[in-house]
Amino acid sequence: MNQSPRDFPAASKAALADESLKTALGRLKTHFGANRALAIERFGGDWEALREQGRATRDFALTHLDTLLEQFERAVTARGGHVHWARDAKEAREVVLGILKDAGAKTVTKGKSMVSEEIALNPFLEANGMIPVETDLGEYIIQLRKEPPSHIIAPAFHLHKEQVAQTFRAAHTTLDAARNLDERQALVSEARQLLRAQFEAADAGITGANFLTAEEGAAIIVTNEGNGDLTRLLPKTHIVLTGIEKVCADLNDAAVLLRLLTRSATGQDISSYVSVMLGPSDGDGPKNFHVVLVDNGRSRLIGGEAEEVLRCIRCSACLNHCPIYGAVGGHAYGATYPGPIGAALNPGMLGVANAAHLANASTFCGRCAEVCPVKIPLPAIMRHWRAREHASGLAPKSFVAGLGLWAFFAKRPALYRTATGIAARVLKVIGRKGHIAALPLPRGWFAVRDLPAPQGRTFHEMWKAR
Amino acid sequence: MMSAREDILNAIRAQRVRSTERPKSYIPPAPAADPVAAFAEHATAVNADVRILNDAGEIPAAVADLLRGKNIPAEIHIALDAPTMDVGPLALKRTPPGPDDAALTTAPFGIAETGTLAYPASAQNPASWHFRPGFEIVVLKASDIVANMETVIARVKAKGLPHTLNFVTGPSRTGDIEQTLELGAHGPKALAILIVRE
Repeated sequence: MNQSPRDFPAASKAALADESLKTALGRLKTHFGANRALAIERFGGDWEALREQGRATRDFALTHLDTLLEQFERAVTARGGHVHWARDAKEAREVVLGILKDAGAKTVTKGKSMVSEEIALNPFLEANGMIPVETDLGEYIIQLRKEPPSHIIAPAFHLHKEQVAQTFRAAHTTLDAARNLDERQALVSEARQLLRAQFEAADAGITGANFLTAEEGAAIIVTNEGNGDLTRLLPKTHIVLTGIEKVCADLNDAAVLLRLLTRSATGQDISSYVSVMLGPSDGDGPKNFHVVLVDNGRSRLIGGEAEEVLRCIRCSACLNHCPIYGAVGGHAYGATYPGPIGAALNPGMLGVANAAHLANASTFCGRCAEVCPVKIPLPAIMRHWRAREHASGLAPKSFVAGLGLWAFFAKRPALYRTATGIAARVLKVIGRKGHIAALPLPRGWFAVRDLPAPQGRTFHEMWKAR
Repeated sequence: MMSAREDILNAIRAQRVRSTERPKSYIPPAPAADPVAAFAEHATAVNADVRILNDAGEIPAAVADLLRGKNIPAEIHIALDAPTMDVGPLALKRTPPGPDDAALTTAPFGIAETGTLAYPASAQNPASWHFRPGFEIVVLKASDIVANMETVIARVKAKGLPHTLNFVTGPSRTGDIEQTLELGAHGPKALAILIVRE
C-alpha cells in the first residue's frame, strides 16, 4: 500500500498490473459515470444554471468564511451544542479524545468521515484505549482489512465480494463458519446484524458533515445506509468532525448544493437520507452535541491561486471520470484524497514538497473540470502546483533536464527549425513501417504504445509550402 | 498564545483577497403534474411501496396487507407519545422497534420533487424510528405534499427548529460492495407510504 504521494510512480506501476483492481475500476464508467449521466438527463431543471448557482454559493461561503463560521458557532451554542476549533490534525485528534474522555466514553461508533481519515483518528483513539467502530459498510470492510479508503464515497471500491466474504469470515469468528456468504445481500445482512449491536452499545458517535449552515447552526449528512443517523441518535454523545470550508450561509444554500451532490456522486436525485442535525435532544437522540471544526491546511489556501479547490463538495465525479484514477485507483495516490481533487488539494494541505508531484498524474484532458458540480478549474490548479514544484527544484531531474533542453531550442527559432527538420527526417527513416515502436530515451512511454512516424517534413515547412 | 479559533479566523481574514455577492437562488421548476402523482412516481422509483388511500379508515387494512405481504408477524410499533392509530386486529407495541420489526409513523411533509418524506423530530415523531425498524410504514396526507425541500425548510423554521430534521427517500441502501445496489443496509429494509387523500 502506498503511504506517501511521493511514491506515486512506483505505486501506480504496481496498480496497473493488478487485474482484480482493473475489474473494479471498470465499474467507474458503467456504474458511477452512467448513473450520473442519467440523473442529469432526468433533472427537471437547467443543470448548467444549477452548477453556476453551486459555484456562486460556494464562492460566497469561502469569501465570508470567518463571519459564517462565527455565526455557525453562535447558532450551535444557542441551542446547547459546543463548537471546538483545531488548527491541525494533532490538535483535532486531541480535541476529539478530550470530548470522549469528558463523556466517559469507551466504545465509539463512526459514520463515514474523510476528515477522520485525514487526521488518522482511529489509530490515535485505539492507542488511547478507545474502541472506534466504522459503521458505513465500505468503511467497516476496510477497517477490518486495515486499509485506507480508495475512493471518496466508495471506500471499498477496489474490492470484490469474495474478498469481502473472506474478510468477514476472518473477523466474525463467533458466527457459523459454514454459513453462505456468496451473495452480496448475505454480506450486507451480516454487517447489519453485527453493527446494530454496536450502535446500541456505543457510548459516543462520530460523524462527518457534508455541509454546515451558518444561520441555523446545522450539520448535514448525506447517506444511503442510515448508519450515520444511528451513529448520531443512539449514543449519549454525538461529535461532528468536519473541515472549516464546509459551511454555507443557510439551509436553502445547502438544498442547492444537495441537488448537485447526489446527482454528481451516485447519480441519485437525492440520497436515501439527508439528516439536518441541529443540537442535543432531551429525549430520543444525543444528550451532548459537539462540532469540531478542523483547519489542517485549509485556511492557508484562502486568497491563493488554489483557493477554488475549497469549493469541493466531495462528490467524486472527478475521480469517476478521470483516465488516470480510472487506471490506477485510489491507493496509488498515497493520500486521503485521490484523483484530480486529490492532485489539486493535497499539495495545498500537505505542502508542495510532499504532494505537488501528484499534479503530474493528469493528462490535462479537462474532463474533471467539465463534470465538477461547482466548476473547480482542476487542471488550472494542478498546473499551478506543477509550476510550484518546478520553481522549488522538486521536479524529477530527467523532467527538468528534458524541459531545459526543449527550452534551449524553443528560444532559438532558427536552430529549432533546423533541429526539428533533421529530427523529422531521421524519425521517418527509423519508422519506415509508418510507426516507431521504440526509441532509446522515453522507454516507459514506448512500453505500451507506438509513435506514428513523421512524414518527413515539419509542420512549419508544410505550412510555408501551402 | 492565541486560541485555535483566533488563529484560524485571523488567517482567513489576513489572506482573503476578494468578496463575492450572495447569489440569487436557482430552484428547479415544480413538477407540472399533480404533486401527489409526482411524489408517488419518484418514491416508487427508489423502491418505496406507495399506496393511495381514499380516507384514514383504510389504514388498518392496508397495514395488515403490507405485513402479510412481507411475512411479518401481525404486530406494529407506534411511538409511545404518538397519537394512537386504529390498527385493527394487529398487536400494538409502544416500544422502539428492532431491526426486523415493523413501525408505523406519520410524515408531516412529502416532497414532490424527489418522493422524499420530511420529519422534524419530536416526542410524537422520534428521529431514531426512521432508522431502527426493518419495515417502516408511513402515513402521509396528500395535502402535506409540497413542491420542494425549500418549502419544508421554510415551514419547519417558522415553527422553530427541532434537534434533528430527517429527509427520507426510499428504504436504506448501499452500493459499497461492487457498486451494486442492495437494500436494507442499516435502516429499514423496506418502506411503504400510505398517501391519504381526504
